[in-house]
Amino acid sequence: MVVWWHALLTALWGGLMALERRAFLQAMISRPLVAGAGTGFLLDDVQTGLYVGVVFELLHLGGVSLGGSHAHHETLPAIAAAAMASAMGNATGSDGTPAMWSLSILIFAPSGWLGRRLETRLDLRARKYVGRARDATNLQEFRRAARQNLRAMWPQFVFYGVLSGFACLLGYAAAPLEQVIPLGVLRGLAWAYPAMSVVAAAIAVQGSRASGRSLIASVSAVVVSVVAFVTWYRSTL
Amino acid sequence: MSPRPLSASTLWRVFGRSLFIQAGFNTESLQTLGLVYALEPALKELYPSPDAEQAALQRHLTTTFNTHPYVSAAIVGGILFHEQRLASGDEGPEAVAKFKSTLMGPLAALGDGFFWLSLRPAVGALSAALVPVISAWAVPVYLLLYNLVHFTARGRLFTLGLKYGDGLVQRLEAVRVKQYGERLRQLAAACAGGLGASIALSFGLQQRDLAGLELTLGCAAAGAFAAFLAERRVSPYIMLYAIAAAAMVAGLLST
Repeated sequence: MVVWWHALLTALWGGLMALERRAFLQAMISRPLVAGAGTGFLLDDVQTGLYVGVVFELLHLGGVSLGGSHAHHETLPAIAAAAMASAMGNATGSDGTPAMWSLSILIFAPSGWLGRRLETRLDLRARKYVGRARDATNLQEFRRAARQNLRAMWPQFVFYGVLSGFACLLGYAAAPLEQVIPLGVLRGLAWAYPAMSVVAAAIAVQGSRASGRSLIASVSAVVVSVVAFVTWYRSTL
Repeated sequence: MSPRPLSASTLWRVFGRSLFIQAGFNTESLQTLGLVYALEPALKELYPSPDAEQAALQRHLTTTFNTHPYVSAAIVGGILFHEQRLASGDEGPEAVAKFKSTLMGPLAALGDGFFWLSLRPAVGALSAALVPVISAWAVPVYLLLYNLVHFTARGRLFTLGLKYGDGLVQRLEAVRVKQYGERLRQLAAACAGGLGASIALSFGLQQRDLAGLELTLGCAAAGAFAAFLAERRVSPYIMLYAIAAAAMVAGLLST
């Protein structure tokens, strides 16, 4: 059963996060890790949101908007994929599974590109507010002139909100797929999650732009592997 | 003549409004609308005459403004420094225009280099690496660590600009931002590498069979190959879909 208020909540959250990312505060609430976990919290599945968010956090770690250019949108895919995976879990009466996480990530990863295109279009559209601010200043309506700054936020809120809400609905619609997909593909999707996470981590290492990053990351990976293996081995004794 | 003072409530309003500096970002005037929005309460107080306020608003509305959103606090503070002197007749309008145009570029580079390219990746990677250990608590850790620096810097930069005007450059030179930046980037690389290994191992060990070992080794090989490809600027999306396809083939073959 589709929980419509889940879609509504996701739409509101997606719209607000688009504003936080771009227009107001920029306190990193809209980063994939945080926004993804927040989406999961709203849809009663924090773990799904968190693990989907981790992949997008790593994937977009090196992304940066400099000057007037935009990086790929990291918030939209994180929220959309987290919403879809959480909704799929809700619809099947369980929490999201790694297979659902992978499927959602694969469907919504390209929305980072879409988000960037949309952002550029909205920047073009926002030019009209400059003219309005100048007109208001000429009429000595200073408050109205200043407030033109805030009007540009509405389209951001609406467009990104609608896309996020749509992702939630897609999750409910796609839930029956779990019963139809062959077991081998489901297993492959489940395996795809750690594989994509590791690839995203490698992309993040490059995105860090640190000098000697490959060596640092390799040493860190070896140390973590040894510690994790020893811990696991002791627990099996 | 001493500069015309601004009330504390107006300064708070300007600072609060500077958090919206990018709301009206557009391709024509970039952050100009945001700057005007932030300055409006102060200009209203400094210029009681509508004609003078109009001239002040037009001064900022007709020039393009763009910088890093966090360090814009320093420029907003510095503009107030100059506008106070302009309102009391100590300076001409060219001083504020020069301040703005001279500083917005270098400060943008400083903000981009430290916040976007160093602090954010470091805190993001560290928090992501903490997810397997502390689960959802990684989220408040992320927000706390990042915003402790972020809001402290914004508040400090605003007061520096307000107090010293052009002199804030000397104050900023004393902060060794470049050195901190490199360390933060190295932290990001270490955390990302560690997290990759942690995820590969934890998912593999969960299975407790040969397939688990294959998954861990496959992930490790994929990570190493992806690192090689990433350094050669191969699209992240191609790598993501390729590894997902490989995992699904492996899943199908294992049935």
